[in-house]
Amino acid sequence: MTAPSRRRVAAFAAGLLALTLAACSGEEPENNDLAGNRVGAMSDYAVGKQFKATEPISFSMLYNNHPNYPIKKEWLFWSELTNRTGVTLESTVVPLSDYEQKRSLMIGAGDAPLIIPKTYPGQETPFVASGAILPVSDYVDLMPNFKDKVAKWKLEGDLNTIRQQDGKYYVLPGMHQDVWKDYSIAVRTDILAEVGQPVPKTWDEVYTMLKAMKAKYPNVYPFSDRWHKPTPGGALFNVLGEAFGTHGGWGYHNDQWDPAAKKFVFTGATDQYRQMVTYLNKLVKEGLLDPESFTQDDDQARQKLATGKSFVISANAQTLVNDYRPDLSKNPKATITKIPVPVGPAGEIKTGLRLENGVMISKKARDSKNFVAMMQFIDWLWYSDEGQEFAKWGVPGTTYNKDGSGKFTLAADVDYVKLNPSGTKHLQKDFGFGNGVFAYGGRTELLQSTFSAEELEFQKVMATRQTLPVPPPHPFEDAEQEQATLYDTPLKDYVGQMTLKFILGQRDLSEWDAYVAELKGKNMDAYLELVNKAYDRYAAKS
Amino acid sequence: MVTVAHKPVRPRRAKPSRGRRVFQVCNAIVLTAVVVVTLYPFLNIVARSLSDENAIRSGQVSLFPRGFNVETYRLVMSDAMFWTNYRNTVVYTVVATAVAIVLTTCYAYVLSKPQLRGRGVLVGIAVFTMFFSGGLIPHYVLITSLGLKNSVWAIALPNAISVFNLLVMKAFFESLPVELEEAASVDGLNTYGMLWRIVIPLSKAVIATMVLFYAVSFWNSWFSAFLYMDRSELFPVTVYLRNLIAGATGGTSVGASTENLQVAANIQSVTIVLTVVPILLVYPFVQRYFVSGVTLGAVKG
Repeated sequence: MTAPSRRRVAAFAAGLLALTLAACSGEEPENNDLAGNRVGAMSDYAVGKQFKATEPISFSMLYNNHPNYPIKKEWLFWSELTNRTGVTLESTVVPLSDYEQKRSLMIGAGDAPLIIPKTYPGQETPFVASGAILPVSDYVDLMPNFKDKVAKWKLEGDLNTIRQQDGKYYVLPGMHQDVWKDYSIAVRTDILAEVGQPVPKTWDEVYTMLKAMKAKYPNVYPFSDRWHKPTPGGALFNVLGEAFGTHGGWGYHNDQWDPAAKKFVFTGATDQYRQMVTYLNKLVKEGLLDPESFTQDDDQARQKLATGKSFVISANAQTLVNDYRPDLSKNPKATITKIPVPVGPAGEIKTGLRLENGVMISKKARDSKNFVAMMQFIDWLWYSDEGQEFAKWGVPGTTYNKDGSGKFTLAADVDYVKLNPSGTKHLQKDFGFGNGVFAYGGRTELLQSTFSAEELEFQKVMATRQTLPVPPPHPFEDAEQEQATLYDTPLKDYVGQMTLKFILGQRDLSEWDAYVAELKGKNMDAYLELVNKAYDRYAAKS
Repeated sequence: MVTVAHKPVRPRRAKPSRGRRVFQVCNAIVLTAVVVVTLYPFLNIVARSLSDENAIRSGQVSLFPRGFNVETYRLVMSDAMFWTNYRNTVVYTVVATAVAIVLTTCYAYVLSKPQLRGRGVLVGIAVFTMFFSGGLIPHYVLITSLGLKNSVWAIALPNAISVFNLLVMKAFFESLPVELEEAASVDGLNTYGMLWRIVIPLSKAVIATMVLFYAVSFWNSWFSAFLYMDRSELFPVTVYLRNLIAGATGGTSVGASTENLQVAANIQSVTIVLTVVPILLVYPFVQRYFVSGVTLGAVKG
């Protein structure tokens, strides 16, 4: 019970300190001369070149300690890293359970290590005003691999979304080559065969499939869903929203980019959103979708699936293997699979941000004589193909092998995510590779190198979908931000409530116009005006 | 039952009135209910810690383990770091409790003397910290600048005096008859002699209580260690287990194996059992003083 209140205290204190620090650091002149910071740095560092510090150096780092593979000093990762780069990392070990709290505290107290990884885009915002965090966008010229990937994978649009009001970004995000889709629905394929239906490719076919299941089993709701927290229908509406060309569930936010009109419109009032709601309402009305889907616990939904009271449920790769298959193991006939995300009116598309958690850097690092070397080191380890492969797979011949076609296999005695169950040593626990602090993002090929054959099939289908560009950002000024938040939350809550009422038939869809009018009464237009004004200002600047 | 057995021996005693018997029956029922209500959750936790995760999930576990399983215990206890951290907990608890008892006793004894000048101010200083605190970051900066980070003192010193315990002890010392100390002083004892030879032996009860209070709170605490320890081999077991729960229930990390999921369901109960049992074992030993302390106070009125 004391923890949340302490966390609040920490956040408050951090905020307060941020204010004071901001007041002191306002007049510092911008200094772009790096002549005094090049100790240990390579003069000819470039893409494809191994970074090696010209003299042994060490950097302090905050380390997020995962209980599944607790940090060990004797990991091959550390020694090999020092071998290759000449850099030693001095870790301040923080348990994963309270990483964010300690991070705010240490930054607030001015005691933060130089390298602060595992920071999700958005989490850096509270520290920006304090001046304790380096605006890394000013220094990406020191990072050839980073720049190369941004250019090659056209990530500039994604990066724009993390720019602060001053147009700079303060976190080096993890970057994916392509949008990674994981969530879809899982379907009992044996029931599918029983009712003589193919695997549905579109949401209309999903409807037909559920209809056929219902005809055969009139007493069940064929689709009973999970993940209603914190947003009812979190996963399902998110997936459906994308298919219908809008946002829903976990991915819901009030502003939706309209590329034709070049402005933001209100998500919950768009025609696409209405179509999605209408579709779900049809499923509920015809007894195809369990109305309890939006209130029951995950365990209840799993129980229904396990006992044959439902055949379809939202899924990702993990839940399929870790939840549904073991749950269904008592029924030898039952087979279940995650189907490629069904296509909706928006066509064969996928959307999403290709950014991941990444690295923040303490402002004081800028004054270090090793600053340039540090940036090069970070660039190599987190952004070069070689560094990413090293962090994920380890040392060729020792922990893994790679054949001519680029296929990765674990060494005979090493196991990782059950890819090689006969291995006696664990890639993460015993060697320190595949560590969430260092290994994420990167080339699709590398990302998928640990996927199962089944998941690769899913990804192959998803790879054919066209990735839509990221909507442009609309960074608010402080006063606007405050005002926008005041409008934003009640609107979001209201859309959420009404979405459920419409879907469950508690409110008739003929009342849609009245609902939009109610949204107007809750400052929908004022909110949009703020968003569009901020966008226009941003567009004019860039 | 006791009443029945003693009846012939004490014939003079009036037969318990009807009202009294009703009272006793009700009393027994209510107290039994209290025992059940307080014991049940604990037994349930123990049962859960020994059960299969599926049985727990489907709510079959009540008083007895279902699908007997010690996998989680094995998993938790097979890690060398678990034992390192467990040792830390013991060390931190012992050191911090010892420091706390010495400091609290000394402070409380001083405050219990009405003739002490500035006593009000000293009490005020202590009580002030009950209501106001410098906040987390100043605390952190202080401990860091004092160089206490990554040592047992970061845990022991900032929490050495609990104001509540201090006031309880002060009240106890005040209730000791002044005459005893006056007699001791006539016999030639100085202040420290009086504290050591007269007051402390008479205060075993309250000291035992304080030891218990402090020990339990240090045993359970994780926050200071989490703040001031930078290496995992310095963490107490509470931090270790807290992280284990977070990892097991987070569930979204790619690579969570089925082994870990097995852990997820009953790890909380295993954790609770592992941390509660040792401190529970201390209880009976201290309890003796605790009870005699209560009666002692009752007799003296």
